[in-house]
Amino acid sequence: MLSRLLVDPFALPFMQRALVEVLLLGALAGGVGVFVVLRRLAFLADALTHAVFPGVVIGYLVSRESGIVPGALVFAILATVLFTAFAARARVSQDAVLAILLTSFFGLGVVLVSRQRSYTADLTTFLFGRVLTVDSTQIAQTAVVAVAVSLAMYALRKELLLRTFDQQTAQAMGYRVVLLDLTLNLIIALVVVAAVKAVGTILSIALLVVPAATARLLSDRLLVVTGLAVLLGMLGGWLGLAASYEASINHGVRLASGATVVLALVAFYLLALGIGPLARRCRRRRMKLPPEVADVGELSAGRLVPGTHTGGGVR
Amino acid sequence: MVDPRADVGAGSLVDAAGDRPPAVVFDRASVAYGRVPVLEDVDGVVNAGHMVALIGPNGGGKSTLIKAVLGLVPVVRGSVQVLGRTPTQARQDVAYVPQADTLDLDFPISVGQVVLMGRYRQVGWVRRPRRSDRLIAAEALAAVGLAHRSADRFGTLSGGQRQRVLLARAMTQQPRLLLLDEPFNGVDAVSRQALLSAIEGLRAAGATVVVSTHDLSLAHLACDDVCLVNRHQFGFGPTAATLTPDRLRAAYGSAALELRGEGVIVAHS
Repeated sequence: MLSRLLVDPFALPFMQRALVEVLLLGALAGGVGVFVVLRRLAFLADALTHAVFPGVVIGYLVSRESGIVPGALVFAILATVLFTAFAARARVSQDAVLAILLTSFFGLGVVLVSRQRSYTADLTTFLFGRVLTVDSTQIAQTAVVAVAVSLAMYALRKELLLRTFDQQTAQAMGYRVVLLDLTLNLIIALVVVAAVKAVGTILSIALLVVPAATARLLSDRLLVVTGLAVLLGMLGGWLGLAASYEASINHGVRLASGATVVLALVAFYLLALGIGPLARRCRRRRMKLPPEVADVGELSAGRLVPGTHTGGGVR
Repeated sequence: MVDPRADVGAGSLVDAAGDRPPAVVFDRASVAYGRVPVLEDVDGVVNAGHMVALIGPNGGGKSTLIKAVLGLVPVVRGSVQVLGRTPTQARQDVAYVPQADTLDLDFPISVGQVVLMGRYRQVGWVRRPRRSDRLIAAEALAAVGLAHRSADRFGTLSGGQRQRVLLARAMTQQPRLLLLDEPFNGVDAVSRQALLSAIEGLRAAGATVVVSTHDLSLAHLACDDVCLVNRHQFGFGPTAATLTPDRLRAAYGSAALELRGEGVIVAHS
């Protein structure tokens, strides 16, 4: 029964290709997403997904399907450099800058699409993707991005961690924070570009943010959070595809596969919201209380401080 | 556990204090963010091996002056020399301890990982920290009395304990100059003592210390010199001679409270 739902659909070649694509994307976006969540860059990632949209459209107009990724890439890099440069100047607050760029790029994309005869159909494809039609070239592209991004993230893991945790000290230690930020932003942009064909520009933000946020609910250890985010991203892709296939083929309910993947990820998140506190309580019971906790002075000093960090947002 | 003072600190510097060139020289230095000058005309010398308190009201430019020594804010007039070089060139010998409450308490990172960050420059790009790096980190954490909390999440510690962890991280850089930004704010007595004795350990190994603080008694007890600033410099020199009632009143305005015949204290506001 379970294998009929979860394995059998992937005997079909197009489903196989879709599965490989979402597994790659899920792992890639899950891993990168950990930094998106820790740096509170979800809004930046969202802005990038919108900024990529006109690139997708222009690429498609120039050379149809094969133009989508190059077009998206050009706009993603353009947008990333603009964001990072504006953010470093910080005259205007960063979220205002993002909102301006986001809407202007997105508007440009919509204007371009609206000149097409097949306006609505094209728009839907670009926004929500069409994972069932990915071909082996696109899978290869995603694989190359996944390998390159993994290598870059591994090489920079210490520095990205330091910058994410404590920007001031990273600067004081002589790291060029602007360059580190630009690198991470470009990596996020690459993931968005890689995800465009499968889940579209809008939904790619979910791949980046939801698995990492879910993993963060389940663990306090960075390595575990990263591993969980990768696994959850892949699992969501698999279950989402299987669910949309089952509903479409055997129940006559047509579910968009990209969106179903996103809903599967969100379902994990909701589950983790329930499980997270439970897991935390179990962990606390297993831990012995350290002796200092008896020190009332330190306890009250500790209680004064929480709340000072809640500002958060995009920095 | 090995005595942490043996290894952590400015181990490479063994020449006697006094013969060494000054750690920091301010020559009529003014620092600014953009066009707005924050602090003007700082002029004085931080002698090698000394502990110097930066004193002044909030917003008076203490943090900015520390950032100028780190080369993170531009010196628009005059100059700042650090260990005989420009601030940027001197960075590898300077360690910085930020205020603990500027950091994200929810961050999924352990105390041990935070301390190890101090070794990242030594470890270099791409490579993993070596055994020797982990050993140095463990010794530094022991020196601030928190060896047993290494595996705990950073955010679960009290404010004072987190400040000690950040000092331990700076110690792993084995700095010749240590800069601390308000390390005693909201810190309990246990942690305050632990911070002070760890700083003493660094000084015994030859390091110079600059610490910004509101705490006048700390300046009198632990610091050789003070630099009194509020927008500009109100005094720079030996603690007792510099923290006069007149100067404190000038720098702090109405926040300086007169004690009957005993001098001046500063009210936090």
